Amino acid sequence: MDFYLGLLQIMGVHTLLGLSAYVVLQTGQVSLAQAGFMAIGAYVAAMLTVLAGWPLIAALVVASLVAGITACLVGFPALRVHGLMLVVATIAFTEIVRLFFFNFDYQISRGNLQVGPLGGEGFRQIRYFPENGWTTLHVAVFIWTVVALVMAALWWMDRSRAGAVLRAVGEDEIAAQSCGINLTAVKVSAMTAGGAIAGIAGGLYAHYTTHIEQSNFTILLATFAIAYPILGGLSSVFGTVAAVIFIQGFLVEGLRFLGDWRNLLFGALIVLVMNIRPSGLLDARTMASLRRLFGRKEG
Amino acid sequence: MLLVDLAQSILDGVLFGATYALIGIGFTLVFGVMHKINMAYAAASVGGAYAALRLITLIGGPAWASLLIAAAVGGLFGLFIYWLCFRFIPLSNPLATLMSTVGMFLLAEEIIVHTTDGMPQNYPVVVGGILHLGEFMIRGDLVFVFACAILAMLILLYLLYRTKLGTATRAVSQQPIAAQLVGIRINQVNALTFVVTGMLGGFAGALIGSAVGLLSPLLVVPLTIKGLIVTVIGGLGSIPGAIIAGLLVGMAENVFQYFRGVTERDIYVMLLLFIFLVFRPGGIFSTTVKRD
Repeated sequence: MDFYLGLLQIMGVHTLLGLSAYVVLQTGQVSLAQAGFMAIGAYVAAMLTVLAGWPLIAALVVASLVAGITACLVGFPALRVHGLMLVVATIAFTEIVRLFFFNFDYQISRGNLQVGPLGGEGFRQIRYFPENGWTTLHVAVFIWTVVALVMAALWWMDRSRAGAVLRAVGEDEIAAQSCGINLTAVKVSAMTAGGAIAGIAGGLYAHYTTHIEQSNFTILLATFAIAYPILGGLSSVFGTVAAVIFIQGFLVEGLRFLGDWRNLLFGALIVLVMNIRPSGLLDARTMASLRRLFGRKEG
Repeated sequence: MLLVDLAQSILDGVLFGATYALIGIGFTLVFGVMHKINMAYAAASVGGAYAALRLITLIGGPAWASLLIAAAVGGLFGLFIYWLCFRFIPLSNPLATLMSTVGMFLLAEEIIVHTTDGMPQNYPVVVGGILHLGEFMIRGDLVFVFACAILAMLILLYLLYRTKLGTATRAVSQQPIAAQLVGIRINQVNALTFVVTGMLGGFAGALIGSAVGLLSPLLVVPLTIKGLIVTVIGGLGSIPGAIIAGLLVGMAENVFQYFRGVTERDIYVMLLLFIFLVFRPGGIFSTTVKRD
């Protein structure tokens, strides 16, 4: 049972990570900086609960704020460039953050134990959950409550004017600009929101694994972050969840019996899916027919 | 003494930077022709070098032959990537080909790990020896790498500017629709671009193997990142830009390593990229680049 709860926790954090990339992708920007924002969130939240003794929720809020503000600051210079240039700039950002934490030491002694981040060895002993008597079930429920809240907020945003504005920028920047939309403001806001969500994901991740290090937050993780919404389809938040279940549930866990071959199949399946369904698993047409299936008018 | 050491690290960096330039050219050429990014490029390049190493240890032969085999295998890989990741995916959707090449990247890296059990493989020495020039030491293998890279670039420039194929390639990169109207088969030109860049990549991968002394799966990610940085600093689609930027990045890397140590050097290389993005987003040779 604990295994499945553990899997649920992983899926929850990855869903949040995917959603953080989803917001940015809505504006047509490919950001590989999400792993960097997640790293910032993870380290800030863990330092607040372990070193400063804060409660978890407050630490998560601050982690999310710090990651969001960083995203906003990175957004201004990075969003001057488009397409490939932005991909490379955000790759560089994630690497800078990772290398920063690789060189980052800040330890204090608590009892007879040295705690805090220690460069390449990472940040051990993030024991908030065990110290406060949370079971795996509690943690899984807590993570999915956060996921549900974020998803509800994004689902609502997709239907509001803000969502329409994001999509307008994503579809055609020049047309959006000529409608009086401030491109920079929209893109930087999307980046900030994405950073804040990635910060929450990082904070949750740090606490359920109890040990984080720089090698957790590589370009590979950033690639996963954009892979979820792209594979799942950008027309709805549920696409991201479907892709997380497909990748983490089916490809990573479900194919475990294949042993080493699983990793080979993983890349091949991504190539295959993009050939068969270039707009993602749940693209706009599929969503529309699903809606008809459940007897609702398209709208 | 400091000055000599500094000049020495600049020299080594520029010589090794030639390989970054080759990888950067590969990225930039595909971008120039298709306005797409091939994330699997560096992985396929290292893969070509691995295949060549495997072949040369299997059938035996001089070490320099591995460079040519790597180029041939790399070309084949390039064609594979084109067929699997670009040919049947609508090009109007920029995210789809980005994702498919990322999938290909993961696949290529995983095949490398799978066939070598993740162990680094020793690469045979092609040219050894150290040249002493006054106070400077010049590593023979780095000079060889530099010379080979320059030769490959000259051949590429000849292909692009002096042959019919090159004219067609440049036509497609400037105006795909007009190129089609005058009877150029776009798909064929695209496929050929992938073969040529693949050959360049395989060759570069083997050169890197011979300069570092071994091949390891750990080379793939840094090489991808450095290649992309070179592409952006040089200006998207600009081949002279990629060459200069490759040498520049190689030099900067070594100088930062000299001053700040190996764990911090890449931070400064990335910051260099940001400086370029803010002050010269078009790259060294700013041209009117069409954006992806």
